[in-house]
Amino acid sequence: MSNKKLSAVEHIKTASKGLRGTLEQSLGDEITGAVREADHALIKFHGMYEQDDRDQRQERAEKKLDKLYSFMVRLRIPGGSMTAEQWIAANHIAGDYSTGVIKITTRQTIQLHGILKHQIKPTLKDFDKVKLDSIAACGDVNRNVACASFPAQLPVHEQVKAYADKISKMLLPKTRAYYELWLDEEKIDEYNETDPLYEDRYLPRKFKIGIAIPPNNDVDVLTNDLGLIAIIENGELKGFNIAVGGGLSTTYGNPDTYARLATVIGFTDTEEKTLKAVYEVLTVQRDFGNRSDRKLARLKYTVDNMGVDAFTAELEKRCGFALQTAQPFEFTERKDETGWHQDYKGNWHYTLFVENGRVTDDETTALKTALLEVAETKKSAFRFTSNQNIMLTDIAPANKELISSILSKYNITTQQENTSALRKNSMACVALPTCPLALAEAQRYLPSFIDKAELLLAKHHLSANDIILRMTGCPNGCARPYAAEIGLTGTATGEYNLYIGGDREGLRLNRLYREKLAEPAILEELDVLFGAYSSKKQEGESFGNFAIREKLVVND
Amino acid sequence: MLAGEKLQQFKAFISNTSREEQVWMNGYLTAVITGQQAATAPQAAKKITIAYGTETGNSKKLATSFAARAKKEGIRTKLVGLDQYPAAALSTEEYFLTVISTHGEGEPPEAAKNFYDHIHKNGFKIPQVKFGVLALGDTAYPLFCKTGEDVDRQLQQLGASRIAPLQKCDTDYEEQAEKWFTEILQKINKESTAEVPAVNSVPVKKAATKQVYKGSILSNINLTGRGSTKKTYHIEIATEAPYLPGDSIAIVPANDLLLVQEIISLTGLAPNREITWRNETVTVEELLSQKAGIVYLLEKTVTQYAALAEAPIPAQRSDLAHLLRNYPLKNETQYETVLQQLTPIAPRIYNIASSPVAHEGAVHITVLQDLFTVNETVQHGLCTAYLEQKKPGDEISFFVQPNKRFRLPDADKDIIMIGPGTGIAPFRSFVAERDATGASGKNWLFFAETDFTTDFYYQAEWQTWFSTDVLTRVSLAFGNSSEEPFEIQHKILQQAASLFEWMENGAYVYLCGEKDPMSKNAEAALLSVIGQEGNMTDEAAKQYFETLKTTGRYMKDVY
Repeated sequence: MSNKKLSAVEHIKTASKGLRGTLEQSLGDEITGAVREADHALIKFHGMYEQDDRDQRQERAEKKLDKLYSFMVRLRIPGGSMTAEQWIAANHIAGDYSTGVIKITTRQTIQLHGILKHQIKPTLKDFDKVKLDSIAACGDVNRNVACASFPAQLPVHEQVKAYADKISKMLLPKTRAYYELWLDEEKIDEYNETDPLYEDRYLPRKFKIGIAIPPNNDVDVLTNDLGLIAIIENGELKGFNIAVGGGLSTTYGNPDTYARLATVIGFTDTEEKTLKAVYEVLTVQRDFGNRSDRKLARLKYTVDNMGVDAFTAELEKRCGFALQTAQPFEFTERKDETGWHQDYKGNWHYTLFVENGRVTDDETTALKTALLEVAETKKSAFRFTSNQNIMLTDIAPANKELISSILSKYNITTQQENTSALRKNSMACVALPTCPLALAEAQRYLPSFIDKAELLLAKHHLSANDIILRMTGCPNGCARPYAAEIGLTGTATGEYNLYIGGDREGLRLNRLYREKLAEPAILEELDVLFGAYSSKKQEGESFGNFAIREKLVVND
Repeated sequence: MLAGEKLQQFKAFISNTSREEQVWMNGYLTAVITGQQAATAPQAAKKITIAYGTETGNSKKLATSFAARAKKEGIRTKLVGLDQYPAAALSTEEYFLTVISTHGEGEPPEAAKNFYDHIHKNGFKIPQVKFGVLALGDTAYPLFCKTGEDVDRQLQQLGASRIAPLQKCDTDYEEQAEKWFTEILQKINKESTAEVPAVNSVPVKKAATKQVYKGSILSNINLTGRGSTKKTYHIEIATEAPYLPGDSIAIVPANDLLLVQEIISLTGLAPNREITWRNETVTVEELLSQKAGIVYLLEKTVTQYAALAEAPIPAQRSDLAHLLRNYPLKNETQYETVLQQLTPIAPRIYNIASSPVAHEGAVHITVLQDLFTVNETVQHGLCTAYLEQKKPGDEISFFVQPNKRFRLPDADKDIIMIGPGTGIAPFRSFVAERDATGASGKNWLFFAETDFTTDFYYQAEWQTWFSTDVLTRVSLAFGNSSEEPFEIQHKILQQAASLFEWMENGAYVYLCGEKDPMSKNAEAALLSVIGQEGNMTDEAAKQYFETLKTTGRYMKDVY
């Protein structure tokens, strides 16, 4: 623990009266579309970020208008599953109050952008009608719990998924502020609310949990603050390996910050013990995390500051039991298998690649309309993957043809088949124009960048290769660029750092290869790299492994 | 009267002074003459500008709290974002304080980019400026407070002098920042101990009615944001024309030159042919371009034309060019007669949106683009079309239309301003004036428009006034923010209790904007407020409202 002065956000949290702050007054401030400054931090705990349209900043300043503020609302959907009714509601809410685009995130939830301050309450009330909420989707609390999202090949896969829901519920803040502020629930005396987990300080920083089912690491489990790796033997769940201290965000120019993969510290064999261990990892972080510098406050720094052994000892002390030795596991891939797949019950699932996770109707494909039509049949449920894709799930064999015909009608099937491997294995964060942290474009730019990269791959006969490429507009790592074979992080308008050498399974981070490159230079570098890879790669060798073997970057 | 060399020296001296200095000298001389000269030499009123360049809002927050403090101490303070700050204005500053953060790798915040670039240009000096820079940064970054350092250095290189050394602050900036500003305030106060003649006491020269002034356009911007259904222009005109808050200007728009050329060629008359028109002699070209209305002619004028042309022309408003094209006349005499029958271009009246104290040397107006339909084609109002095309540097003629029935009350009185749409214009003038002169009365603005995000005219300025307590309350009605119709009268009714309390406490009520139906709805709402909150019968409420009018506490300017 640090003796340094608490950061400003810490004071805001403890003074917030159960995350209420002055949010009610903020909603009543007519002169601005923003909330008051302290509420800026608090509204995140309610699942929202205040943003503004950066494209219009200068123009609006000249017009003597304030920034164009709006809010991004992110839902809490543990494991990423939704009913058809919920999808229909989300579709309409997006049309009524936001930009209309439904954005699938890298943590299996959805978010809507462009909601004006006076539209927040109607939005959240409409979501509440279908039992959806945005509680703790952002903020210094446990965020949406991610879980492996392939179709259940075995009953045990459903058993594992149930953990996402249990953990999410266990780690919810106890305050009723959300219900009072947004859903007009009657006020209660906030001082009677006690929260043994979060107390009045909450966590020092955001906290992410992911659950993986080997051999697929689609959730990128080791990039989470806390990762659970299901250990399954002969179709039975034996328990979970527990990994702590993953996290990708870094700050340019601040050498104290770094990306880190989680360290596996042990194994738990019962539900009770697993949940207890999860809970106590949060309390250790609550009590030992850095509360003076938010850039050094994630669990990864707490683990490294304490040392892994001391951290584990503290955890075991709090659990009242020792962790068992971690069990062996193997990951072989991280991608979503697109197309039709059958689960152990015989039901069908269709995994659909969604570029940048943006569900909308564009000039080429009416994806949003198609998905609405699928939902309206009520013959399919919905699920989001950590690769920002969508799964149409639990379709009875008798209904497969119906869903399939809708997909064909809207040309989705063909469009999916014509999408390159590189594009399917790529991701970008939101970045400009709404993200206040963005230094460069990401989601608006990636599609056209891929167009060019595809040509290079074709030139070097690598089009079928499943290279993982990820781009972000800043070093904070939302699209997990450091856990990609090719990572691009924005440094300034039109400039990116190029990282290579990450593995395909998500067990090794990449390394900085070139700094501050504009597009022509990036393409030139990739041309050379792909050329070398194509001619010198060994049988089955991934691009990331090739880069390490050839010592293009140093694996330290 | 000064004679010879004295007069020469005096004139030379005067020609080198600013208007503000002249105002001060005027007060000083008056004091000398009446024997009230202060013991020490009086100095000009201190005027400071606090400009912020912000990325996360911290600089703005700090600058706002500084400005509020300075105003409380009676210093004329202007608070402005660097994104709104015309960099050329540096040469007119006296005390210039800036709070600026550093972004990314030592770069200025996006909002301060233009200012930053401007001060890095050579070729100008600002020796009269006293400046202070407070730099915000984060020691976690290698180039800590780099932008602040750059600005501090550049201002010095431009010849300005530091009132305080550069203060660099880390993320826990509050304490250091307060200390820095306290020291600056002390210095400023020390430099201006003597009493100064109040700006208010300087008599403003009465505008001679109908005196035509020429001004040049300083800027012309559309105030509405992307996606708005309307265009509303903010036009700044550089002029020495005297005026008071509440006044309007009248503009006589010129006709479209291409259209004038077409009409001349249709008539076949020589452009420089002189004709008599309404007791003056003018050339055909002059008449058509600047004097007479040529579009949307009156019905009467069209009927006269029909008689002359002996043609069955429908008796409805029409354009001259349309008539000439379709119903040609017989000879030059007839064409001349038609021109003589044309009526003068009516001047268009615009409420002044600026304050003579806050916006010295300029008149601002707020102009809604006027679109209307004639014969199923959309037409632009003559004057708005004329103004829309004006660019910085263009000349414009106007006269000042004083409005004695729309004046600010004494400085300590509260005012309630109801100005939906472009009715907001005179209230920008009022509040800017009250801000600049440090009036202590409270100010409450009611405004209504279609869309909060695009049509909140002067939003950034109202916010600044609100955050520095100049603007006490704001009540807004935006049509598209609710499913029910929501207009100014609904907002008035919603605020009934407080409104009546303000009235009871002696507040002055102003209404400006569209006459019908807005002003009628607003007045009906005010009557209900009085009746409801004062527990009065309709008759008694009417009487109360009537008394407000007769005692000059209810004033309106509607059109």
